[in-house]
Amino acid sequence: MARYIVRRLMTMLLTMVIVSMLVFAIVEIAPGNVARNILGAYATPEQEASMSMQLGLTRPVAIRYISWLCGSDWQASPEINLPLTETVSKQGLVEKSQQWWAIKPNGDLAQWEMKDGQMYAFIRQPDGTTLEVLDDNVWKVDASGQEYFWGVDTGNRAAKWIRGQGGVEYQLDYSGWVQKNDAPAEYIPLNKGLLRGEAGMSLRYNTPVADVIQRRILNSVILASLAMLFSIPIAVALGLLAGLNEGKLVDRLISMGGLITAGSPDFATGILLIMVFALWLKLLPGAAVFTSENAVLKDPHLLILPVLTASLVEIGYILRITRSSVVEVMNSAYVRTAILKGLSYQQVVMRHVLRNAMMAPITVIMLHINWFIGGLVVVESVFGYPGLGNFILNAALYKDVYSIEAGAMVLIVLAVGTQLVADVIYSLINPRIRYS
Amino acid sequence: MEKKIHPLVTSAQEQLSQGKISRRDFLKFSTLLGASLATAQFLASCAAPTEAPAEPTAVPATAVPPTAVPATEAPKSSITRGGTLTCATRVERVDNPATFSLVSASHPWRHVIEYLTHTDPQGITHPYLLESWKASDDLLTWTLILRKGIKFNNGQDFTADDVMFNFKQWLTESVKSSMYGAMSYLSMDGVEKTDDYTVTLHLKSPSIFIPEHLAQYPAGIVPANFGGDLTKEPIGTGAFTMEEYVVGERCRLKARKDYWRMGEDGQPLPYLDEIVMVQLGEDRSADLSAYQSGQVDTILEPSVAIWEALKDDANSTIVATPTTATRVLRLRVDQEPWTKNEVRQALKHCHNREKILALALQGQGTIGNDSHVGQANPEYVDVAPYPFDTAKSLELLKAAGYPDGVTVELSVASDWPETMAYVQALKEDAAAGGFTINLKPMPATEYWNVWTTANMGVTWWSHRTLAPMTLAVAYTAGEDGKPGAWNESGWVDEEFSTILTEAIGTLDLTKRKELVGKLEVIQKERGSICLPFFMSVWKIYTKKVHGIEPTPDEYAIFYETWKEA
Repeated sequence: MARYIVRRLMTMLLTMVIVSMLVFAIVEIAPGNVARNILGAYATPEQEASMSMQLGLTRPVAIRYISWLCGSDWQASPEINLPLTETVSKQGLVEKSQQWWAIKPNGDLAQWEMKDGQMYAFIRQPDGTTLEVLDDNVWKVDASGQEYFWGVDTGNRAAKWIRGQGGVEYQLDYSGWVQKNDAPAEYIPLNKGLLRGEAGMSLRYNTPVADVIQRRILNSVILASLAMLFSIPIAVALGLLAGLNEGKLVDRLISMGGLITAGSPDFATGILLIMVFALWLKLLPGAAVFTSENAVLKDPHLLILPVLTASLVEIGYILRITRSSVVEVMNSAYVRTAILKGLSYQQVVMRHVLRNAMMAPITVIMLHINWFIGGLVVVESVFGYPGLGNFILNAALYKDVYSIEAGAMVLIVLAVGTQLVADVIYSLINPRIRYS
Repeated sequence: MEKKIHPLVTSAQEQLSQGKISRRDFLKFSTLLGASLATAQFLASCAAPTEAPAEPTAVPATAVPPTAVPATEAPKSSITRGGTLTCATRVERVDNPATFSLVSASHPWRHVIEYLTHTDPQGITHPYLLESWKASDDLLTWTLILRKGIKFNNGQDFTADDVMFNFKQWLTESVKSSMYGAMSYLSMDGVEKTDDYTVTLHLKSPSIFIPEHLAQYPAGIVPANFGGDLTKEPIGTGAFTMEEYVVGERCRLKARKDYWRMGEDGQPLPYLDEIVMVQLGEDRSADLSAYQSGQVDTILEPSVAIWEALKDDANSTIVATPTTATRVLRLRVDQEPWTKNEVRQALKHCHNREKILALALQGQGTIGNDSHVGQANPEYVDVAPYPFDTAKSLELLKAAGYPDGVTVELSVASDWPETMAYVQALKEDAAAGGFTINLKPMPATEYWNVWTTANMGVTWWSHRTLAPMTLAVAYTAGEDGKPGAWNESGWVDEEFSTILTEAIGTLDLTKRKELVGKLEVIQKERGSICLPFFMSVWKIYTKKVHGIEPTPDEYAIFYETWKEA
């Protein structure tokens, strides 16, 4: 068993690597130019080229993929010849404003900027502000006699300046996109990479993707887990009841109920529930209005209708799977044998039917966890619930590349992970399955 | 009180007494030129009409439709302080307020940053952060006198340096502020700090728009040391401070204790303790149920669908205001087939305007004549639109070299229901007129990427008080002679531009009406847009809430809003 799990984990890892490549490639290949998205419709080709360079988009695809996954600071550090570090501080309403620095031998954190051919360093002070000092002894000479310097610029990039040959860049300044001379000739955008918890900056939210997506995952996990906790026991119990009473009135009623809830689209159920419970009976809030970060904890009422809507569809579905699975097992030879050898009905059901009939529902449930967390877009939309599904949908609408990539990776981890859990559960409930 | 009254005010007073302009228009223009409202009202009362004043075609700014429940304001003594106002709206990504391009971006932030002037529901513009302004007789020099003793929420004093910095932002082309195109009569060389509390503007050409432009939503005043990102430096003179700002989800504003304006009860404004604005999904689909179940007090910028759902609701106050907000079907005149004016005219003949208004807005608006001038503009002249005539359309297409008709692709934002209703009606009607219109629906976020480039598209335009304000932004060339940044159809017409410049320097409303009338005809006959309707807008809020200004620009202003306990 342990060997099996280890082997599955290895396959899972391989799957993740391949899928991450695919996700990266799809977003890369997809039409639309990231630089142009940021700059807007009025950008000139020069501005666009400059922006692409600043974003590191002119670097080879393989290197960009590795940077996205594992970060780029370790690639830039040898060029700069100094260790790099990242600080995170609060600026105004921005909780986590990230800044990259080079650590000078004396322990100072520094960023640089070239002005009129001279290098200036910004040294970070203990209070978070910077002190600007002339730092013009940093230049090195390359083989062709050209003076150059690799350092960290003020925009979280490693940059190579060449003296006497300032490039032109366009930067977002207080006054908009301004042309800056004395710009570096080469850039490596600094980030820690997905594996180290940094998924890049969201273009839509202007904050690190990781921050937004964490909040959305939490909201979705709360919604999904409550919906599953509510729907699974009910669905399995009802399915069992119906299956054991095949053809009787109770089976007919349950089956019909299941068909209705599974067959009604969730937007219709949602609106019906809102009309009844929020507008008519005035018992429950009709929308998930998050007036603060942890609104659902302060006011769990907000969750009732979204959870109920998501559950109803799920109940119908799992119920029908459970019922047909139970019916099949009840008609099998070994159940007949068990009855014939004189076991009580209760023993037959508990010992033989239940275990075997659970295989199909578990597969469905496991496949649905993934869907439940990322796929409840419709329910989220009806109630205005800030969940992961909505996040990924909007990221796609805004061509917010890092958010799409991070969102896709989260869903893939969930899909592969739940599948592994499902396999382990199978082996536990069905001794016929041997993993070696 | 004003010692010297602007000569044009005296002439306007004459016009008022002769019944050429309405009292409202007189007040508007006198106050624009720096006469205080009290002076203007006094002068208006002096101008005894010699005959019954001819009512202008302008629609009263605060018309209340029959279905609306009149706002029953409680007596002032009963103002309750405290409480939280919760609004359903959009929470946009923001950085520099000068670059705001959506009114919704300004809803939360106008409670943090304030404006130099304010246009009230009657369309009269008042000084706000300014104490007063003065215009020279030739309308070329404007003196802005700042109010003293106002502090930013970080303790800094508000002075002329701050105003200079903001003008610099607006008037620098690379900032891409819509103020740059709007204030084309001014360049940064013409902005002068006279002393710590006075800024003098030297205009390139005469203009009367200054006070109204200063009240536009991208003109919020930030301090001189502003770094370019409001979320990092939420600093302004407003009555609230921003406590939390989560794009696409929520923001929370808290009342300041030391705000400079006083409420009715003699204590500093605001009355509310807190404002929470929430966004319920990208398409705001849950706004209505949130409002109906009492979770939000008001829905900002409500759609027609929301108005329909709530129009008979006994628990809501609904105030309607006609506006010049509209959806413009704009045709790229540098792309086929729109390079030929006959083709544009043909499409204008395919508009069944009453039907479109009924389908798109349930009739809640006014008919447009394909010029971007509406009945809510004081300069509006009644120019009849082209009749709905598909035979004429076929004829025009034939003349333009399209005897077999023409196939075009229309980009539309599918999340704007009135736009979708409009284009679907047009698609059907225009088929008989020789146009095969293939709809290309896309999310609004996608549409904003192509709004200036798409061959044919329907663009959302906000309300502007005076007609030439919009015309100057959307239908003129920049300094380089190429279409300006917001000229989405690429249409530049020499005669139109000349008359427009003249209109912008003309205070006399009768004369300006004449000029705008000419502009309407030019735009109708050879312009680049089809404009079948102007919309009405609504303020919708629960009966517990009081003191919300009905603004045609859909600005959400909660400085004097209070809520019954």
